Amino acid sequence: MKAVGARLPRYDGVAHVTGRSVYVDDVRVPGTLAAKALRSPHHHAAVARLDTRKAEQLPGVRSIVTHKDVPKNVYGHLEALGIPADEPLLAQGDVRYRGQPIAAVAAEDEDTALQALDAIEIEYEERPALFDIRKALDPGAPTFHQWGPVYPHFGPHNHRRVRKGDIEWAFDKADAIVSGVYRPQAIEHCPLETQVALVVPEPDGRLTIYSCTQAMYFSLGVVAAHLELPLNRLKFVGGTVGGGFGGKVDTASETICALMARKARRPVKWRWTREEEFLVSSTRAPWHVEIDDAVTADGWILGRRTLTLHDSGAYARFSPYGLTKHAFHHTGAYTIPNLRFDGFVVFTNRVPTTAMRGFGVTSVSLAVELHMTRLAEVLGISPWELRLKNANRIGDTTANMVAMQDPSTVPVTLAAAERVGETLAPEYLAMTPDRRTGELLPEHLVAQQAPEGVHVLLNGGGPG
Amino acid sequence: VELNVNGVTHATASPPLTSLLRVLREELSVLSPKVGCQQGACGTCTVLVDGEPRRSCLLPMAAVEGAEITTLEGLGSPPDDLAPVQAAFHSGYAAQCGFCTSGMLIAAHALIEHSGGPVTREDVIEALAGHICRCTGYVKIVDAVIAASRGEAAALEASPGETEEALV
Repeated sequence: MKAVGARLPRYDGVAHVTGRSVYVDDVRVPGTLAAKALRSPHHHAAVARLDTRKAEQLPGVRSIVTHKDVPKNVYGHLEALGIPADEPLLAQGDVRYRGQPIAAVAAEDEDTALQALDAIEIEYEERPALFDIRKALDPGAPTFHQWGPVYPHFGPHNHRRVRKGDIEWAFDKADAIVSGVYRPQAIEHCPLETQVALVVPEPDGRLTIYSCTQAMYFSLGVVAAHLELPLNRLKFVGGTVGGGFGGKVDTASETICALMARKARRPVKWRWTREEEFLVSSTRAPWHVEIDDAVTADGWILGRRTLTLHDSGAYARFSPYGLTKHAFHHTGAYTIPNLRFDGFVVFTNRVPTTAMRGFGVTSVSLAVELHMTRLAEVLGISPWELRLKNANRIGDTTANMVAMQDPSTVPVTLAAAERVGETLAPEYLAMTPDRRTGELLPEHLVAQQAPEGVHVLLNGGGPG
Repeated sequence: VELNVNGVTHATASPPLTSLLRVLREELSVLSPKVGCQQGACGTCTVLVDGEPRRSCLLPMAAVEGAEITTLEGLGSPPDDLAPVQAAFHSGYAAQCGFCTSGMLIAAHALIEHSGGPVTREDVIEALAGHICRCTGYVKIVDAVIAASRGEAAALEASPGETEEALV
């Protein structure tokens, strides 16, 4: 326990302040080729013709890859979790977002690679595109995804559901129903180091992959799956990442780079430009969250109905996972016994979205905290006291029926109140995270409570 | 074009409109200036040109002929002899992912050299205004520069190897 509470030097601290940390772009391998991608200029189009023959003839061009060069072109990021695949590594037949890679070139230098992109012959048939998640289910909305407008594989449902307690009872009993709509928008991670990969074919036939990924073993699996190679044919080198924030979880550059390196039998480096990073790399998703709360005049939240639309962009990637986290956190730091949550992963012709600093949770936390303040305003009671009253306590259960063992809402809220000089009534100042009793355990919160020693309620939480 | 980098003179072969950043990295393998945006917007390629912090991605070689270039490799002599600002960044945890750190250190070093003494928070914020850190570590960075200017950089702590042993 010598490390806990101690000020330890960073293992990479001296290297960082002396400029000796080796990021992917700093690795020098003789004979490395430069890579560029042919990307869709359209948000949605059919690829009517694709001919790389002229480009291949240019001096200095060493390899060009299209979907035909990918052993397994369509592979899902979450196949290992049973989530089926929908996204091609290189576009095949159609393009569904602006910037989607269609072909990639490795050449002796960047200028030659760019000339080769110009020499690729391609024709598109532009199609109508969809950008507003609220319109995805409208009749006549543009269609482009083989699964339809939403991700359809949440068990038997086409959306993530949470059902807890008796939502009808809560809305019947309510003194007021307070509604709100919250729409956190897309955010580009914008790491200082753009996406970059360097792939070196080794004499023994293996590939050494220098990667900026945040998820080494995950990326190893993705590359191996697309290339249909056993894991032991790939050596990933990483760990020094110039900022990621979730934007380097998707395996964005390694696989295409590896394809080109194999084809050219030369090392290939692919470093995205800042423009590519902004326009093409994944972003935090935009969300649309509608909350209706059934509340009592004295500030108890009896029930919550939630409708969430999660903008997945053109493919699923990790969005079903992000939405599931969102669903499990949709009561925030508070205990609400009766819930009805419906969340949809909606496809649009935007760049596919991904994790960013609290995947799926920050969006719902924003909505929940804004909504808590709105409840306090409508009811005319202190937003601090509203939060403390409904705060998670030991033995309370989350939306997905996990019993709280060590909830921090009460001490954190009290500490925040003290820091900003908020004066609270004595009964609130005396609150602890302990199990609810007495006035803090009204009848409607009894059934959701887990007995002592129980970690998950499998079928509890009826009306109360 | 002849280029003096960290006290060593190099004859370079790139055309005169090649950026200084490209020549440093690709021709001379001086790798501390990073490729962040190549648009002069992020600051991570900053080097000293005759003592002034400049964006090497925007400087053509023709504009720096005969100039003395200093990069992060030219400050201090690691691992024992770090410049004060380097020591302050290390002991004050002012580098997170490290990718903006080269440019931050160069600009901060120039600020301290020019002031010759303690600098204010406002001085630091102005000097680092064009430097982006997406890990959002600005508070520790500004604190480290102020500490360095006052000669208050904490002594380097145990090296990681020693620490690991101590933890067993």
